Amino acid sequence: MIETTASPFPAIRLRPWLGIVATALASIATWMALLWAPTDAAQGDVYRVIYVHVPTAWLAYLAFVVVFLASIGWLWTRRPWFDALAVSSAEIGVLFTGLFIVSGSIWAKPTWGVWWTWDPRLVTTAIMFLMYLGYLLLRSLSIDFESRATRAAVLGIIAVVDIPIVHLSVLWMNSLHQLPTVMRIGAAPSLDRTMGMTLGISVIAFTFVYLALLVERMSIERVRQQRVLEGRS
Amino acid sequence: MVDNLGFIAAAYVVVWGGIAAYAIGLARRRDRG
Repeated sequence: MIETTASPFPAIRLRPWLGIVATALASIATWMALLWAPTDAAQGDVYRVIYVHVPTAWLAYLAFVVVFLASIGWLWTRRPWFDALAVSSAEIGVLFTGLFIVSGSIWAKPTWGVWWTWDPRLVTTAIMFLMYLGYLLLRSLSIDFESRATRAAVLGIIAVVDIPIVHLSVLWMNSLHQLPTVMRIGAAPSLDRTMGMTLGISVIAFTFVYLALLVERMSIERVRQQRVLEGRS
Repeated sequence: MVDNLGFIAAAYVVVWGGIAAYAIGLARRRDRG
């Protein structure tokens, strides 16, 4: 039996603070990325795209892991809150995967000479983008709240399999893409200390941006759920 | 002189512009109820 009402979303009180912290951290991260971090010996200044490319990749992974956990939460408890979390995180994950692909393409042109190539990392990322786009489209196929949430949860659990495939594709297959430099299994990040610090701040800033967007998107979804569930009862 | 400035600027404008556009879209959806 599912809850027939959706209580107000308590984290909404955090929204202004998350917005302020995210904006401040993003400003600091952008300053460090463009002005403070040193020029790379091999790539020159164009490597600075890494400070938006890697955080968008991290957030794509994080957002879809949250979809996975929220999907389990929905199937386990039938609480609408979990479904609101899943759809909100999926939507933001699709945004960040799109930005991950586009920023990578912009970086590829001056370094690889092409905007796109059929490289394992690029292809698996494009598949991840399409899978979660499919997740959002699947939700629009049913008007019944419970069946829509359940079908979406099943896809949300299956689709998470693509995340390790995307990350490890550069190790499993011959790839033009560079090997992992930060999230390396059994090894420390292979970045200069200043560059690593800048990347760390960028990742934290983007994570706060994700949290601010998530709270905002969830508050909208909870209001929508309240209308749907109260209309049923 | 910064090399490949156009590519760097394009990446930052696309990423932060995309996030800003989505945030504005969310605010409009919230106002519409």
